[in-house]
Amino acid sequence: MNDDLKPKITLFHCINTVSEIGGFSLTGRDNFELHTVKLPCSSMVKDVFLLRAFEAGSDAVVVLVCPEGQCRYVEGNIRAKKRVAWVRNLLDEIGLDGRRLSLSNISAGDNGAASQIIQNVLKDLEDLGPNPAV
Amino acid sequence: MIVGEQKPISEIKEIIAPYKKILILGCGTCVKTCFAGGEDEVAVLASALRLACKKDGKEIEIEEFTIERQCEDEFIQESAPAISRNDGVLSLACGAGVQALARRFAKSPVLPGVNTTFIGVLEKQGVFTEECSGCGNCRLDIFGGICPVTRCAKKLLNGPCGGSQNGKCEVNPETDCAWQMIIERLGILGQMDNLRIYVPPKNWQTSLSGGPRKLVREDHMI
Ligand code: SF4
Ligand code: SF4
Repeated sequence: MNDDLKPKITLFHCINTVSEIGGFSLTGRDNFELHTVKLPCSSMVKDVFLLRAFEAGSDAVVVLVCPEGQCRYVEGNIRAKKRVAWVRNLLDEIGLDGRRLSLSNISAGDNGAASQIIQNVLKDLEDLGPNPAV
Repeated sequence: MIVGEQKPISEIKEIIAPYKKILILGCGTCVKTCFAGGEDEVAVLASALRLACKKDGKEIEIEEFTIERQCEDEFIQESAPAISRNDGVLSLACGAGVQALARRFAKSPVLPGVNTTFIGVLEKQGVFTEECSGCGNCRLDIFGGICPVTRCAKKLLNGPCGGSQNGKCEVNPETDCAWQMIIERLGILGQMDNLRIYVPPKNWQTSLSGGPRKLVREDHMI
């Protein structure tokens, strides 16, 4: 991706994984926009929210969920995982590339992991380029 | 309920290609329950189509609306203003809903967004199974409430074929043998004698094979 283009990432996260995004540092890379959406549980990411994030111009969408077996609401993160997989297929089908949407399990408060995930997404976006539906 | 499945996006894109303004109309009853055409599915499809069209550089306006039932004029009426604002309607109801709309709005192209599949039940969350073929002459009374017309691959009416193994159908081992289930249930009900009742070859005239059917209730007509 061109350096003069500022990648836009929308991050949906369960409040039990990271309480406040923004607290973690992204050393060496601040040339991007990060929009965060806090959810009481990751199971609340509905398909349409993920798609609307792309409609709103996101180049990538990230969903952070608790490790499997550790969801406060038992299976919220499993539901989120299935929904993300469904929407990834949909994105492939419409030619947006499902890789723009990802889900990661992180332990509560592991801001280091969250920051690494964002770094990886930025790296992937160098290959994927900007959202073609903008 | 009627069970259906949303058509692939690629097919829907082709179907709506000639139109610049399209209404995606959901139905809040059967197809909502099977995740094919309720309000949520309308929103997801609309969003996906907007993204797809934008990516392809195609200009399209998509409006979203969902009514309670598309097979009843009383509910259909609510969609009239939205239908008149658009060049066409992509209906996410079953085939009956699509046709009810087409009948009501003679000048609007009404397009199907769902493949209507069968009459069935929600077996468990996310799994729908076909249970009735609408044969027009129900004999669930003697079959212990399990329909061999629909659920036996060979539609046998007088007992099992003998080919089932471990309770599974020999035609498709993923499917439970309908006759195994019927016999088990008749056992529980103490109605094994039903198996002695000879069921004559079915008269399919009451089914769709006799042409489209019509139900008239004089007492409800005015
Ligand atoms: S239109 Fe079809 S899907 Fe909708 S309520 Fe009527 S029968 Fe059910
Ligand atoms: S016997 Fe006919 S009406 Fe009854 S459940 Fe079977 S197919 Fe449906």
